[in-house]
Amino acid sequence: MIHLKGVSKTYQPNIKALQNISLNVKPGEFVSIVGQSGSGKSTLAKMLFAEERPTKGEVVIGEWDISKIKQADVPTLRRQIGVVFQDFKLLPRKTAAENIAFALEVAGEHSARMKEIVGHVLKIVGLEEKANRYPRQLSGGEQQRVSIARSLVHRPKLIIADEPTGNLDAIHAQEIIHLLKKINEFGTTVVLVTHDRDIVNGLKKRVVTLQNGEIASDVARGKYVLS
Amino acid sequence: MLRTFYRLLKFTFQNFFRNFWLSFVTVTIFVLTLIIVNAMIFMNYVADRALESIEDRVEVAVYFTSDASDTLVKSAQGYLLGFAQVRDVRFVSAESALETFIERHAGDDVILSSLDEVGNNPFGHSLVISAESPENFPFLLEAIETPEYAPFIEEKDFTNYEQVIDNIKTLNDRVRVGGYILAGFFTLVAILIIFNTIRVAIYVHRDEIGIMKLVGANDWFVRGPFLLEAVLYSVLALGIVIGLLTLAFNVLDPWMARYFSGIDVNVGTYFMQNAVPIFGTQLLLASMLSLLTTAVAMRRYLRV
Ligand SMILES: Nc1ncnc2c1ncn2[C@@H]1O[C@H](COP(=O)(O)OP(=O)(O)OP(=O)(O)O)[C@@H](O)[C@H]1O
Ligand SMILES: [Mg+2]
Repeated sequence: MIHLKGVSKTYQPNIKALQNISLNVKPGEFVSIVGQSGSGKSTLAKMLFAEERPTKGEVVIGEWDISKIKQADVPTLRRQIGVVFQDFKLLPRKTAAENIAFALEVAGEHSARMKEIVGHVLKIVGLEEKANRYPRQLSGGEQQRVSIARSLVHRPKLIIADEPTGNLDAIHAQEIIHLLKKINEFGTTVVLVTHDRDIVNGLKKRVVTLQNGEIASDVARGKYVLS
Repeated sequence: MLRTFYRLLKFTFQNFFRNFWLSFVTVTIFVLTLIIVNAMIFMNYVADRALESIEDRVEVAVYFTSDASDTLVKSAQGYLLGFAQVRDVRFVSAESALETFIERHAGDDVILSSLDEVGNNPFGHSLVISAESPENFPFLLEAIETPEYAPFIEEKDFTNYEQVIDNIKTLNDRVRVGGYILAGFFTLVAILIIFNTIRVAIYVHRDEIGIMKLVGANDWFVRGPFLLEAVLYSVLALGIVIGLLTLAFNVLDPWMARYFSGIDVNVGTYFMQNAVPIFGTQLLLASMLSLLTTAVAMRRYLRV
């Protein structure tokens, strides 16, 4: 699913965010990426949906070579990858359902099919009842579930979540992780970037630890090892 | 395809109304610019018609001496009519010239009594020439000076119409230059306003644009609404201007007909008959201008 080979990323003027990263993720895996602030986790995540290009090395997602991807192909790639962020990125003037529909709208989906998909993903995240609420009328956890629902509309093979629980309390955070696990059980590959020791330890899945832009450890049933 | 276009339109109108006042100002400036452009077309048209009708009326009289015979003058008339540049030559007999003179000075005893003193008819025959174009007169007046007629020509009355026409042309040219400067100025203002409006629209929509890109919207789907918005401004502005012009013509036409009595000006009909070239060109130019400005604004502020 994901193949990184010797990937380095240097931001202007000379910030080495990632150095010589090699990483393989198989389809259906659930990988947590941990590391201290500034260790390059978000940079790594951005590389996976072509938000940033590697300065050096090779990034392959499915059959897409992102180090060489044409700008015009980026939208097609993005429709095959779901992304979730700490700040939800919902449009305040749209309801939950409209926010989800938006992702289909811009891809030219039929209205009838759109309704069907929106209903379906709302059900997966358990928010059918609150479909017509605006983001400000939802709790943080619920907003994040809307955002996850939106990331699912194109039936992605890969979900990248960059600190999806960063703004949530422990209970809501657990809900989100539970949801991601459920999605992973359907067969979707999940890359979870997180700071949260309890979450990582509770998952008992593969953990990749970054330190100063390098992979410090990569453990199959890992624990949060940083001090 | 249609569905996508409909959605682009939806986003476009959302943009338009979300920044209603900015859109309003943009359209207003566009309207002002177009009004100036149309005022110039209007001025040109009226000036052209006025010049044409003055040129049509220019006539030159050739007065013959009183001993020039009927036959001689009539043969001169025939000679002149042979020129392609001549539209018409009217023969005015000595008698009718006298009559006209008496009529014109009826009640002016001094003049009439001095006419009595002369005794016989002091006037000779004359020819009144109208030409296809005033530029032909110098040539025609030269042409009539043949050995046969020259001795009998007393006077050639060539009122300095050229001067009048030149004056009108100069005035028209000056107004035109003023119009160009004004139109240029307003176009510049329009460009700046559109640039700013699109910049603000991009700023207002930055979250939406970011999300659009994250969920895999095509680049042109992101750009489309802004470009359509630019076209919308042009279409709206031109629509308003056409409405205003129609209104103005209804008021102006009767008034102008009175003012230019005798001259055939019908601005409303002129604009209507040439609506497609006049307004089509304006729509095209206005749209291209706003599209170009928007493209530049997007290049600067919209990182797709
Ligand atoms: N666009 C950018 N331009 C320049 N430097 C950047 C940019 N984005 C990130 N960096 C730098 O690259 C390094 C890695 O940043 P990154 O965001 O990947 O860290 P992170 O592990 O996600 O941190 P956090 O846990 O705080 O989110 C940092 O030193 C950061 O300052
Ligand atoms: Mg980060």
